[in-house]
Amino acid sequence: MEAWGAAATVALSVWLALVLGLILLPSVIGVSLGISELYMTVLVKTLEWATRRIEKGVKKQQARMLKDSASNGIIQRVNTTMEKEIASLHRADFELSDIFYFCRKGFEAIVEDEVTQRFSSEELVSWNLLTRTNVNFQYISLRLTIVWVIGVLVRYCLLLPLRLTLATIGIHSMIVGTTLVGCLPNGSIKDWLSELVHLTCSRILVRALSGTIHYHNKENKPQKGGICVANHTSPIDVIILTNDGCYAMVGQAHGGLMGVIQRATVKACPHVWFERSEVKDRHLVMKRLKEHVADKNKLPILIFPEGTCINNTSVMMFKKGSFEIGGTIYPVAIKYDPQFGDAFWNSSKYNAVSYLLRLMTSWAIVCNVWYLPPMVREEGEDAVQFANRVKSAIALQGGLTELPWDGGLKRAKVKETFKEEQQKNYSKMIVGNGSSGNLSSGTEPD
Amino acid sequence: MGSSHSMSEEIQELAEKTGFTSEQIEHLHRRFKQLSGDQPTIRKEHFDNIPDLEFNPIRSKIVHAFFDKRNLRQESDGLADEINFEDFLTIMSYFRPIEMNMDEERLDHFRKEKLKFLFHMYDSDHDGKITLQEYRNVVEELLSGNPHLEKESARSIADGAMMEAASICVGQMEPDQVYEGITFEDFLKMWQGIDIETKMHVRFLNMETIAQCH
Repeated sequence: MEAWGAAATVALSVWLALVLGLILLPSVIGVSLGISELYMTVLVKTLEWATRRIEKGVKKQQARMLKDSASNGIIQRVNTTMEKEIASLHRADFELSDIFYFCRKGFEAIVEDEVTQRFSSEELVSWNLLTRTNVNFQYISLRLTIVWVIGVLVRYCLLLPLRLTLATIGIHSMIVGTTLVGCLPNGSIKDWLSELVHLTCSRILVRALSGTIHYHNKENKPQKGGICVANHTSPIDVIILTNDGCYAMVGQAHGGLMGVIQRATVKACPHVWFERSEVKDRHLVMKRLKEHVADKNKLPILIFPEGTCINNTSVMMFKKGSFEIGGTIYPVAIKYDPQFGDAFWNSSKYNAVSYLLRLMTSWAIVCNVWYLPPMVREEGEDAVQFANRVKSAIALQGGLTELPWDGGLKRAKVKETFKEEQQKNYSKMIVGNGSSGNLSSGTEPD
Repeated sequence: MGSSHSMSEEIQELAEKTGFTSEQIEHLHRRFKQLSGDQPTIRKEHFDNIPDLEFNPIRSKIVHAFFDKRNLRQESDGLADEINFEDFLTIMSYFRPIEMNMDEERLDHFRKEKLKFLFHMYDSDHDGKITLQEYRNVVEELLSGNPHLEKESARSIADGAMMEAASICVGQMEPDQVYEGITFEDFLKMWQGIDIETKMHVRFLNMETIAQCH
């Protein structure tokens, strides 16, 4: 028994020493030893091999289908407007045929609608050796299955404990570090130390997820006194961004572990955490944010205007509140590569713990972050237009589709006012045409 | 992970009955499961979750059409409470585009089927005739969102259109003749010469043809 105990202690200390030396120390300095890069190269080669095997093993016809089932649609939509379509059918002012247009649109919506598919994970073109993405794929060959089994072992027995260790260390050091820094008097040393602590912990956490992040256009990085705006896919977006710079975060105050982290970090750095009751009071929120932005020494605010997690294939409506604060907006586009791991949090399907577990048993989190040039609200532009302009820029850079829909549709229904718009348009057309025609004919029915 | 034998047999059967390809059926099956929340049948409430559909002024008529037993090719009349995947596909098949290699008779049958679907949408009391009241109903629904439009104008639009329909179907009417309503034959007459096939279909992507375009 004692021999076992001693051996276990030795193994554990060797393990911790390795972790410390190879991962934690470089995180503090901000240097990479290249281990992740090596891992990624091996991973990419393996997945490429797997894809080739799948394509060879499956009949040619089906392989082509694999490629296209990733496209986001099954229907080809005819994009003529309502006006053109109904005008082309018209012999008189109102026709039985007018119903065609609406009928067809209704059917298209039932078969496939642009919104609900954004709230579930993107389907992959080829299998990445994770069972969770295995929607379309079948048993191919023994070799592939063996590789898959090895993959499972590697992920669950090797990577998962490593990642859990790192994550625990990361979170603990964040809490302890920021509490310690918070004890210091306000000044430049405190700011410098707080930055150091935040950056180190972010780096540790990113390594805990085996994250490979490529930052583009670093010259456009958000400056102090500005507002950083990004598309939202999952809670780890925050870690991805803070890995490269310090931000003041904005959000609801939570309970539990999140709450502890929030309370600790706010001592070191002026994040803005709201109580739930305060979120409802928009003016209070705006006031606090305006004060924060006005102070040029404060870190840039990080806001996700979509308000909810979207599956990273599109960008949904940006809520105008963030754009009414004023100041310079620094848009950031974040695009994850779904081949290595799905970062999207489908909160109706998975709770926080299972989501984190899925993250930690994926191969890696690979993403691209683009810093876009800063934008300001122009003369004569209102908040909504400005929000749409920023949204288009982000969607364009990230290669995402742009949708005018509200992310809140995940949980709520469409507002009545929107419904009536369509009806108003149609009736304007009919009544507008029919002003001299049928209305004056005075044929009263019996 | 892959289809078992019984599934693919079922798919074959459905493909023959409704004319969809097996890929399309699989896609539609996934959509069905998404709409129904993984249950085997869909009820009216399940259509409430589609934001795009909310915009449609004749939304209730479209949803109604899914549960209309006449469209489901069942002998009885009235409304079903819930439909399964086969019924779902049956309704979807009304919107299949025409195929190039269809002969005259099949083409005609196809066209009739589509028009019958439309007819059922108008004829809400299932009596086989579109009466003036039903016609008015549809017009009002289409125009209901406009607050500036008075009910009277909507009515007179409907009345005018009905008059025109009567003149096509019955020709000149005697002063004391009452036009009961548009029957299905009259309905067909009205559509003669108009190409509805291209208007009333949803073009499903054929997976194979796309691959060749790359």
